[in-house]
Amino acid sequence: MKARVLIADDASFMRQMIREIIEPEGYEVVGEATNGMEAVALYLELQPDLVTMDIVMPKRSGIEAVRGILAEDPRAQVVMCSALGQETLVMEALQAGAKNFIVKPFKPDAVISTLDRLVEKEDMVGA
Amino acid sequence: MAKYRILFLEEAAEHLADMGKALLDLEKDTASAESIDVIFRMAHSIKSMAASVGYDPVMEVSHALEDRMETIRSAGCVPPGDSLSMLFRGLEGLEQMVAIVSETGEAPPERPDLVSELSVPIEAIPVVSMCVESESNAPPESLPEPPDAAELDVELAAVMAALEAEAGAKKKLLN
Repeated sequence: MKARVLIADDASFMRQMIREIIEPEGYEVVGEATNGMEAVALYLELQPDLVTMDIVMPKRSGIEAVRGILAEDPRAQVVMCSALGQETLVMEALQAGAKNFIVKPFKPDAVISTLDRLVEKEDMVGA
Repeated sequence: MAKYRILFLEEAAEHLADMGKALLDLEKDTASAESIDVIFRMAHSIKSMAASVGYDPVMEVSHALEDRMETIRSAGCVPPGDSLSMLFRGLEGLEQMVAIVSETGEAPPERPDLVSELSVPIEAIPVVSMCVESESNAPPESLPEPPDAAELDVELAAVMAALEAEAGAKKKLLN
């Protein structure tokens, strides 16, 4: 198992798509959040190694959720899921402390390489 | 891909229904931040799903609608005039396109007419001041000045006197 992942996206379609991309590559999906508030709560409860975070979500946006998670755990590894036309929001999320981003529609290779790089970096820091 | 088409159809149907409810709410309150946010998020979500399954014409219309809602969100309200009807036409167009996907299993034809209509810039309209003047954002009408306490006492005394007189008259009649 490479890492434990929390998927945060309000669309079950997108959650399922990420799950089906990452699970065959050895990632374990430990939880799914459907809004930003739930993402923060599940992060604290499950303590995953990685979070994939949609930017546009109800209750608390993905960017607000990143801030909420990092306030509790400054070492949290959050990858934003962005779509066409969200460049400004992606920049804001990275400034808020997100580690990287993946773009919808997802390209499986790009998703895996992004997550792999973060896991490798974390392993090096932890070693 | 068939599994994702079914998921797309299920989720798009829910999103379009939510969008329809929010549009009806916007008709009553053109500055409803919650309704504007719901339509924005639903359009965004449909756009992402459509892009993922290769329904580019759906993606283009939902993207145009999402952008329009972003502008409306920044403005604080739906500009008066044709804007709300335009949003309804956007919703109707998306419903038709999703219905075609459901019937044929294929991407629907492109709708450049709808994309162009939704992409008409509204920056020429002074939306911020217009939103302030809109019905929902308009300052409340000034309330009438409260009556002077002394005047109230006089009025109350007059009513009491009239009631007492009426009661006295009834008592006399009964006697």
